Amino acid sequence: MGALAIKNVTKTFGDTQILKGINIDIESGEFLILVGPSGCGKSTLMNIIAGLESPTTGEVCIADRAVTNVAPKDRDIAMVFQSYALYPTMTVRQNIAFGLETRGIAKAEQNEIIARVAKMLQMDHLLERKPAALSGGQRQRVAMGRALARNPKLFLFDEPLSNLDAKLRVEMRVEIKQLHQRLKTTIVYVTHDQIEAMTLGDKIAVMKDGVIQQFGRPQDIYENPANLFVASFIGSPSMNFIPCHLIEHDGELGVSLQGMASPYFISLAGRPNLRARLGEKITLGIRPEQLDVAEAQSSALECKVKITEPTGPDTMVYTEVNGVEVIARVHPRLVPPTGQSIKLVLDMKKVVLFDPVTESRI
Amino acid sequence: MNQERFWRGLVYAALVFAALYYLIPLYVMLTTSVKDMEEIRTGNLLSFPQNIGFAAWGKAWSSACTGVSCDGLSGYFLNSVKMVIPAVLISTTLGAINGYVLSKWRFPGSNIVFAMILFGVFMPFQVLLLPMAQTLGWLGIASTTTGLVFVHVVCGLASTTLFFRNYYVGIPDELIKAARLDGAGFWRIFWRIIIPMSTPIIMVTLIWQFTNIWNDFLFGVVFSAGDSQPITVGLNNMANTSTNVKEYNVDMAAALIAALPTIAVYVFCGKYFVKGLSAGAVKG
Repeated sequence: MGALAIKNVTKTFGDTQILKGINIDIESGEFLILVGPSGCGKSTLMNIIAGLESPTTGEVCIADRAVTNVAPKDRDIAMVFQSYALYPTMTVRQNIAFGLETRGIAKAEQNEIIARVAKMLQMDHLLERKPAALSGGQRQRVAMGRALARNPKLFLFDEPLSNLDAKLRVEMRVEIKQLHQRLKTTIVYVTHDQIEAMTLGDKIAVMKDGVIQQFGRPQDIYENPANLFVASFIGSPSMNFIPCHLIEHDGELGVSLQGMASPYFISLAGRPNLRARLGEKITLGIRPEQLDVAEAQSSALECKVKITEPTGPDTMVYTEVNGVEVIARVHPRLVPPTGQSIKLVLDMKKVVLFDPVTESRI
Repeated sequence: MNQERFWRGLVYAALVFAALYYLIPLYVMLTTSVKDMEEIRTGNLLSFPQNIGFAAWGKAWSSACTGVSCDGLSGYFLNSVKMVIPAVLISTTLGAINGYVLSKWRFPGSNIVFAMILFGVFMPFQVLLLPMAQTLGWLGIASTTTGLVFVHVVCGLASTTLFFRNYYVGIPDELIKAARLDGAGFWRIFWRIIIPMSTPIIMVTLIWQFTNIWNDFLFGVVFSAGDSQPITVGLNNMANTSTNVKEYNVDMAAALIAALPTIAVYVFCGKYFVKGLSAGAVKG
């Protein structure tokens, strides 16, 4: 069953088009992430799903029901806000009860629901407190509890973790994921943090300038980015982009990489649609973990270690190839001292190619 | 170190002087009002009263002459109470609703509407006198307490709207969105979410409006007659009614009676006033 369908939604404010034709379709129980840099339109799209703003054109369906002209309260949705938006003059109990009360749920049933939610989120001891007396994490929890109490068809999360400190953010991330697995409700989650997007989502919609750049499963997006923007936005540290010329060498198409020593030719034989671009510029994309330290004797790309950043399990090695900075993620034991050379090999199965002009995938 | 103490001392001296400067008139009024005429005639303006008596207060309240009638200020005081309570409550309520709409339910052109309302804050009320007299005539409430309430509500709206609007701008919009998703509408959000958060600004507005309306003389003298005149007009009439002797003690007592309610409001609600003003300043 379709839980949420967004069909050709556009949104225009005055002369600026915020959303330029958005299409999204997810199944019941899926966790959809809307991710993108600020100003990409993800929050506007969220508001349109919630019914807090109406689309200029297009249609929104929730649980196979067209809701484009339905008021927010009748859409059977609940939302968790970035600022939590807890009612400051009410206790936690009243905060949760407010939505139930406006829907005319009897007092006894309200108490039952509050008790269930409080137990689920382990916040029984907070019920009589006011929001001002809660920590950031507790407020976050209450905001989620308020949304859960309504038992809606669709949960909307608008950057819910961005006001928390790093440690709490990771904890709450796991908690949200557990909650989703337990309740199996459909969730739409807006974030600008690509790690949240990768870790939480069943499906990710990467947005930029009011357009969905790519829509798919996290691993697909990570391995097969549709264009330069998606490739650079998803993954940390970011994918390396090396400017090259497509050349022919011993009858094979390929590119030449210049580290600190002689140029190193890598073959791109077997990739379709390249012959026509012979002699043109292309951008070679490779993620830091797809660069590895070469075995002693084999031919490899030799470059100079400029900076090393140990992260514990891996060390980031900053080098320079074809005049741009390239980061390799290697095992700490294999890292030479700064200033010396390192021999790298590329995982050619994973390398992706982009057209430097259109920025799309080749 | 010594120099610092010297300057500090100088600052305190200046402050004490300023405080005295403003307190002396109050002292003179209070002491004069409890003296009898004999003592006023023979004594010094600043001397402490020898025989404290409240005869002048009683006379000012119930038997001093204001023009032809000699019933004191009690009737005028009651008129003012009958005028100030509805006028303050209505203008504050409407200001709160206006501010709520102009900050949280913006509509196309709402900024222009706000700018026009703001204009009312800076308009000298004298320019209103003639058109307002005309309007009151049309409405059939000229020279009545209802008419005065109407005038004060209309003229107070600009500032009450400004106060509430600026306070509400500081309340996050997400709160309204959350309440809308919770199923609450315009009025439920207003009563259940917004009003409970508004105590400081309500206090500010109440004090502000009470003081302005109670102390108003211009509208009182222009738009009321006979049995609807407020206390400021009564006080003026009393001070201007010439009898053979000028009874300073009665005049002083009358002025104090007229000023008491606003003083009381400041004494009891002053802390909210300061709190509310600073809360508004931080958020707005």
